[in-house]
Amino acid sequence: MKSVSRRTFLKSSAAVTAATTLPSARAPLGAQSSPADSPPRSTITLTVNGVRRTVEVEDRWTLAELIRDHLDLTGTKIGCDRGECGACTVHLDGDPVYSCSQLAVWADGRAVSTVEGLADSGRLDPLQEAFVAGDGPQCGFCTSGQLMAARAVVAATPNPTEEEVREGMAGNICRCSNYNRYVAAVLGRPPERATARDPLSVVGQGRPRIDAVERVTGAARYTGDVKLPGMAYARVLRSPHPHARIAAIDTRRAREMPGVYAVLTRENCDTVWRSGDRQNPRYLFNNPVRFVGDPVAAVAAVDRHAAEAALQAIEVGYEPLDFVLDPEEALQPGAVEIQPGGNLSRRRDGEALPDVYQRGDVETGFDAADVVVEETYVSKHHSNAQMEPRSAVAHWEGDRLTLWTPTQGISNCRRDMAGDLGLPPEQVRVVCEYMGGGFGNKNQCQDADLIAALLAREAGRPVKLELTRKDDFLGVHGRWPTVQHYKAGAARDGTLQAIRLRGYSGMGPHRKSGGGIAGIELFRCPNVRREVSPVYTNMTVAANFRGPAYPQGVWGIESVMDQVAHELSIDPVDFHLRNLTRAFNDETPYTSWALRECLTEGADRFGWAARWRRAGTRAGPLRRGVGMAIGMFAARLGRSSAVLRLEGGRLFLHVGVTDIGTAAKTAMAQLAAEAMGMDLADVTVVWGDTDRCPYSVGESGSRTTTHTGHAILEAAEDLKRQMAATDGDGPIESRTLIAQATPEPVLDGLARYASAAHFTEVEVDTELGGIRVLEYLAMHESGRIVNPLTAESQVKGGVTMGIGMALHEELIYDRLTGIPVNPGYYGARVMTHLDAPEIEVRFIEPDDAYGPYGAKNVGEPPIIPVVAAIGNAVFNATGRRIRELPMTRDRVLEALA
Amino acid sequence: MRPLANANPESLADAVERLERGGGRAAAIGGGSDLLGMIKDDLASPDVLVSLRALAASDGLDAIVPGPAELRVGGLVTLARLSAHPEVASRYRVLAEAAGSAATPQIRNVATLAGNLCQRPWCWYFRQNFPCYKHGGNRCFSRTGENQFNAIFGGAPSYIVHPSDAAPALVALDARFRLVGPGGERVVPAGAFFTLPRVDVTRENVLEPNEILADVTVPAAPGLRSTYAKVLDREAWTHAVVSVALALQLEDDRVRRAGVVLGGVAPVPWRVAAVEDLLAGRAVTESLAAEAGRLAVDGARPLPKNRYKVPLVENLVRRTLLSLAGSGQDPRQELAP
Repeated sequence: MKSVSRRTFLKSSAAVTAATTLPSARAPLGAQSSPADSPPRSTITLTVNGVRRTVEVEDRWTLAELIRDHLDLTGTKIGCDRGECGACTVHLDGDPVYSCSQLAVWADGRAVSTVEGLADSGRLDPLQEAFVAGDGPQCGFCTSGQLMAARAVVAATPNPTEEEVREGMAGNICRCSNYNRYVAAVLGRPPERATARDPLSVVGQGRPRIDAVERVTGAARYTGDVKLPGMAYARVLRSPHPHARIAAIDTRRAREMPGVYAVLTRENCDTVWRSGDRQNPRYLFNNPVRFVGDPVAAVAAVDRHAAEAALQAIEVGYEPLDFVLDPEEALQPGAVEIQPGGNLSRRRDGEALPDVYQRGDVETGFDAADVVVEETYVSKHHSNAQMEPRSAVAHWEGDRLTLWTPTQGISNCRRDMAGDLGLPPEQVRVVCEYMGGGFGNKNQCQDADLIAALLAREAGRPVKLELTRKDDFLGVHGRWPTVQHYKAGAARDGTLQAIRLRGYSGMGPHRKSGGGIAGIELFRCPNVRREVSPVYTNMTVAANFRGPAYPQGVWGIESVMDQVAHELSIDPVDFHLRNLTRAFNDETPYTSWALRECLTEGADRFGWAARWRRAGTRAGPLRRGVGMAIGMFAARLGRSSAVLRLEGGRLFLHVGVTDIGTAAKTAMAQLAAEAMGMDLADVTVVWGDTDRCPYSVGESGSRTTTHTGHAILEAAEDLKRQMAATDGDGPIESRTLIAQATPEPVLDGLARYASAAHFTEVEVDTELGGIRVLEYLAMHESGRIVNPLTAESQVKGGVTMGIGMALHEELIYDRLTGIPVNPGYYGARVMTHLDAPEIEVRFIEPDDAYGPYGAKNVGEPPIIPVVAAIGNAVFNATGRRIRELPMTRDRVLEALA
Repeated sequence: MRPLANANPESLADAVERLERGGGRAAAIGGGSDLLGMIKDDLASPDVLVSLRALAASDGLDAIVPGPAELRVGGLVTLARLSAHPEVASRYRVLAEAAGSAATPQIRNVATLAGNLCQRPWCWYFRQNFPCYKHGGNRCFSRTGENQFNAIFGGAPSYIVHPSDAAPALVALDARFRLVGPGGERVVPAGAFFTLPRVDVTRENVLEPNEILADVTVPAAPGLRSTYAKVLDREAWTHAVVSVALALQLEDDRVRRAGVVLGGVAPVPWRVAAVEDLLAGRAVTESLAAEAGRLAVDGARPLPKNRYKVPLVENLVRRTLLSLAGSGQDPRQELAP
């Protein structure tokens, strides 16, 4: 029985009471109630953005929960709910705190301020203005937290040093890794150059994002901010075993709990998530479960706490099976079979054989070589870790589904959803207004989207499904780990003779995407054999993550090339100049080839010739070394659509982009403005809603500018023709004209690639094992740059993210149990403000006459050469090569021992 | 999150009484940075949280009181205040630096000194709820598993490392902890507050049920020069891979008394008495520092994946000693009136 508490007298239905109904007195003492019947509640009075409010809260609510769900201030984001990322930063009596890690009751009598309180009656705070002008937000999901942290820095120190800013913002992760921009904005340093080499009137001009104000004020609505009347909250129960058969599952207790609306398991849901596995049927709930994190059940309930409690009431009987984590081990005879037919994932032709590419004869090449290097490189599962966890809000009206979801492609998501649910596509509407990054793990539809839709149908009410941060690390996907066995030979003059790769990619138990190991094609070489086996394992699923097959593959091949150059005593830049690809796979000519220029201009700018010394010639505890690497990424053309509507003199651009954080919306608007000869301010973009936008290719493969951009240009030609044809019909403001285009441009048999060459200097502390990146230059050729301001941010972010992959990040598995031990931002050691060096970015801008105004792509190329450049610099500094990622202190000190 | 009740006690005694009344279902909570996350992850399941921050103004629990003979720091003082306090920064630099090196600004703004000292291990296995000794199981998964961040000293049978940064600093400073519980109060030396798993594998300190770490007293140390050196595996928000708290009382360049305590290497802040003895009475030279480094790792028993901690500690101790001795840090002795 409860002891006497005023809590028990308070109505438990109304979460938030009017400001006048209750006094702010603290609850009396002696609250030792058993929480079994109804969750204890308290009435608190706090000031929120200057307004005094009295509210009744459940004692267990976090401050973030109160602010977002009950005070409807959704500018404050939840990225981890564990005080590890900073997205939820608010001020409590002026001091920044993680609102996810404070109980709301603790704010009683105190003053809370959020991002919504920064602007003064519509006038932006100077920091918000600086973030807009200096391109602070990419995806924007961390921005509110960054602003609140920065606000505190500036309040404490009006003219802070760079170090003070970085220290003060050290608790705020930006996975887009736009750290340079945030710090510069706080320091009041405007971006240096924001104009392309050869700017047109709008294209080639550095412009702030057209939605930057929404991103700095908290007004941008992300999926998690969507709240519908009567909406239920959903959670997913996941397998704690890497491989197990479910013998029994009992949901009765969960179903009977008050507030539980729907429970799904394999027993009442056999929906197949087809884009979750291109080879084997992947159900939403699988039996057997094949990785820790595999969904077992899902629950929708009145609130998230009730949903969590219901999950705990589900009883599952598992019969553990053997499991295997390592891709090479998975192919050994006797290894447990994870999918029917064996652990080698089938090729496109259906054969269970490795993917093989071959030209010439490698054995002949090795015979002709004067130097042969044979080495193995091991890269790890690398979590996308975008700031916004996967989430979905599903709402049925009759047989019509509206789904709010953070997706990189609303059109593809709709197609997949409709297909998997057996609906005609027009019965599904997909909306993504803003999304908090993805880097490849928000392509198409996710099982979370389908689960939310099915729960909503079952519950008969809208459902919001939120993945926790741990769910997101384990239940979505990351970069595939690889084992790469290389053999490479070159003649004494440095000319490559042969390269052989036997590689293994660990895909987890499902083939969600390619699984390749790319990079050999960066080199001209008469004899090549590349044999790659995508393998099923019981690790979490691996699929696309920024430049999917490249950063790990380029690390391997570029390390081997660096080693060959070293053994021949040739400067790596000279070695590259001799062996650079001139045609894709020595066969298909490029539309433009600026790799050499990236390399030579970059080497000049970096001062490579003067700084490079033979590896291992440095002494002392702190050893500096330089490294370089190159990269390329396909900038193909292809089908996408655009609709232009001229109405009242204003141009409305309907495109199916969602803007993952790349500034795609802004780039699209710039292309339209340029094509129409209008100002950027005269263009309104209509985006992110399948009911209002035409087909779009989706923001994956760095394709938006080249694909959708082309469609915009073609539609603009049509619109201009219509304008000319209707010239006599009065002023333009009085006409409404619509043009649309879905072109399928072709490349005339050529290969189209963006190129990059990166140069870096690192310092290795040979006694403490630390690696510090002192200097970094990224030379990029991405055709014409549409928006130099935001493009440079992309490169800075991609490089910084690559540094994290090189130095810190790995999803680590316990070998004995097959359970990952470090999911989350704390465990993954994602880069922080204090880890991110200044990245210098330069663009070379040839016009190959293929892309829109000659534009290629910028999103994925920047991460490609990074791990290799750093690894080579570490080798240059120490004479030791680290062949297993990441290059943490233990590996550095062991390599030096 | 499971249902729970927040209770705001009126005094330390009231807090203790509420904990007692909770019969094992109540937990004291300060800033909440650690315990709240543990509750969310089902690593702890109290029904009642006795919110000590309600006591901020009472019992001097949020006061920093510098005096001629000692410094007293209330258990509720936040790490941010502690690290920024001018007297602490000038007279007990190791403590200010340690407090300032923990986690992130947001956490330091709420995390209390007592909470930092009493936080649970951050061993991956513990945090992922493996059925290890700390969770009432009968094994330590790190011993044969991913033990790169685990103990190289004092490990059996659990190989956690103590996560607190403030703890090595306070042990090096010979601080005393005042504990208040149902049976009254008692004072224990910092070094005796922390316990090895071989004594009791389920906990990391001697706090009895319903006992609260009320405050910490640090004796004045004439001629003190001190520092905290922390090696991280990223530059913010990680616990120490290894760290060293050094407190040297100097007299004419000679070490009169040394406190040398390692963090990140053992289930408790690891005092290396052999190094303290070595340094006593001598001037710090290159060769003495090198010897100190070697001696600091004497007897280390690394696990398969943390052998690197041995050279790391050796180098860190040597380098920190040399830099502290040569720092010209002002060994201020007297308090301003």
